[in-house]
Amino acid sequence: MLNLESIVAGYGDAVALSDVSLEIAAGELVAVVGANGAGKTTLVNVIARLLPIRSGRLTWEGVDLGRLPPQALGDLGIALIPEGRRLFGAMSVEENLDMGCYRRSARAARDEGLERVYRMFPILRERRSQMAGTLSGGQQQMVAIGRALMARPRLLLIDEPSLGLAPSVVQQVFEVIRAVHAEGVSMLLIEQNVALALEVADRGYVLEGGSIVAAAAAADLLERPDIRAAYLGGA
Amino acid sequence: MPSSTLLAQSVLSGVFSGALYALMGLGISLAWGLLRIINLAHFAFVFLAGYLVYQCISVSGWSPTLVVVLALPLFFLLGVALQWLFARFSVDEFASLLVTFGLTIVIESLIQWIWTADVRRMETPLSTWSVKLGPLYVPVVEAILLLVTLAVVVAAWAWLRHTYVGKALRASAQNPVIAAAFGVSHRRLAFVLSGVAAATGALAGVFVAVGSPISPSQMFGSLGVVLAAVILGGLGNPLGLLAASILIGIAEALTMALTAPSWAPLVSFSLLIFILVLRPDRV
Repeated sequence: MLNLESIVAGYGDAVALSDVSLEIAAGELVAVVGANGAGKTTLVNVIARLLPIRSGRLTWEGVDLGRLPPQALGDLGIALIPEGRRLFGAMSVEENLDMGCYRRSARAARDEGLERVYRMFPILRERRSQMAGTLSGGQQQMVAIGRALMARPRLLLIDEPSLGLAPSVVQQVFEVIRAVHAEGVSMLLIEQNVALALEVADRGYVLEGGSIVAAAAAADLLERPDIRAAYLGGA
Repeated sequence: MPSSTLLAQSVLSGVFSGALYALMGLGISLAWGLLRIINLAHFAFVFLAGYLVYQCISVSGWSPTLVVVLALPLFFLLGVALQWLFARFSVDEFASLLVTFGLTIVIESLIQWIWTADVRRMETPLSTWSVKLGPLYVPVVEAILLLVTLAVVVAAWAWLRHTYVGKALRASAQNPVIAAAFGVSHRRLAFVLSGVAAATGALAGVFVAVGSPISPSQMFGSLGVVLAAVILGGLGNPLGLLAASILIGIAEALTMALTAPSWAPLVSFSLLIFILVLRPDRV
């Protein structure tokens, strides 16, 4: 499904990703974990076409994404839940969700999509007319997830969903990630919270200094002493 | 103290001049708020449209309806062309102010060259026709202007509020990168918005020409007060613009009735400065 082969990317003179290869099979939830500055967000931005690729190959269902603009990804079934939510703050909750189904092909299913999002996050139904910028961090994350789901993606890119959220909200967000994954949506989950990410993921990659240093089934990664020592407080 | 009839007549004429400010300012407000382009050339477009309307109707004798029907798409295309230039040369907010000021001077010279600097007056049966409403006189042209402005402003508001294109324009103004990730092509929408803005300018030009005698230098006379209304109303906010325009129009008209016409500009700019001191985030 999604294939990255020897991807190199960066900002200006700095190389943020060097020779990264990664794949996500249909319906798979893949977690990419690592410390701050390891290149996780760069990886998402490359796949979302927000950052150019210097070398390497990026394909999705056989289509070369390397030269496509970000606008094209929606039509190919890829949606993004960006780091820090990045909502349209001066627009209402429902208008933010509407932007998720902006593509012509997604508009027909708008009402059905709204119903699904409101069922997942009942609080958003109450707040549907409120400006998104005035919501709490957790509610904003729900809108960001809802907005991406409105696009009816087959691949969801999720960047640091737990960042800055209260533990109870993190639980709720991960319940939804689990549920959407169960519906067969493929996912790339970028997370600092390594334990949490590897618990929901099928497979995991460990990114360090812009390179993949480990790749295995998530359960196996959780068991590895070096991973536990580096990311899970050693216990 | 002037009579209450005079004051009421002043308020009414303030509402009408406010309506013209709003119709002239709408295109500026939309482009500034949603494209971050400060298009001073919009005033030149308004007057260019006014002169073209004058030429076609008064000199060549075309039907007014035909002229309006032709002017709107013509200016839509002009707006698209202008936006193409902005995009082609990656003009930012500040540069747009300078570039469009230059363009305004060019168009003003062009108008002077073709129609001279003399005042032109359009003779239509409408211009002198007014109806009496109780003790008040209502010029028919102004009443039509008010209705057209209301319709255009409400339509612009509904367009931004309730259509996918409108929501995409607002989303893109707030966060172009994320909007693009959801399929919004800012480039394409910017053409549409710039075209619509110029077309509303052409509509304003019709009323500038029909309502009063025009001369090229008037272009700069309305610039200050319209910009004040645009900022006061909130960038990219049609309903706010209408409210601010009518407020300024009434304040000006009352100042003229109670003191002297030369004091009128003071009112709009005092209001603007006052608001900017209280709410500097409006720009």
